[in-house]
Amino acid sequence: MRPHQKRRFRRRVKVCRFTVEKINYIDYKDIDLLREYTPTNGKILPRRVTGTRPAFQHKLTRAIKRARFMALLPYSGS
Amino acid sequence: MSLYELGVIIDPEVPPEDETAALERLEGIINEAGGEVFEKDAWGRRQLAYPIRKKNYGVYHFWKVNVGGEVLEKLNFEMRTNDAVMRSLILNMDRELRRKRKMDAKQEARAAKKAAKAAAAVVTADVED
Repeated sequence: MRPHQKRRFRRRVKVCRFTVEKINYIDYKDIDLLREYTPTNGKILPRRVTGTRPAFQHKLTRAIKRARFMALLPYSGS
Repeated sequence: MSLYELGVIIDPEVPPEDETAALERLEGIINEAGGEVFEKDAWGRRQLAYPIRKKNYGVYHFWKVNVGGEVLEKLNFEMRTNDAVMRSLILNMDRELRRKRKMDAKQEARAAKKAAKAAAAVVTADVED
């Protein structure tokens, strides 16, 4: 058997948290929420990783960038 | 008149009377224009995620304000020129929340429809019995 046939991944189903919990507005002051989407290097996690819906990903990025401006989140590292 | 959210970071090394003076001046500008500050949220001293003006701490204040848009220029000018204010951000919450209200309404309508459907299903089941 060739390795790519042998190895089988069971992909975890990703869900958009904002859709499920019906969070319709992402506040830049809600740092605990935003932290979940920024790993320690400070980057914004792509929706490919988190499964966030595009509409919410746009809002999320905006909130994170605002939080960065107000020094609530780091631009890089932490 | 629309709803705005104002965020300010005050220099922590400034004496407290200067801090209150700066905030009072901002409130003065708002009240002069016939607006009002109807919610004040003071987070107090907090560590900054990165140093601003070589300082690691900042005093956070968030206000919800109801004013006309023409005051924003004045407010921004005041915050830029005041030495006690390190950083500031004004958001138009009417614009920010427009989408949210729309989505909330949509979800509510959907929930109502679902409930109505469920109620109807119960009624028909009763009839069948």
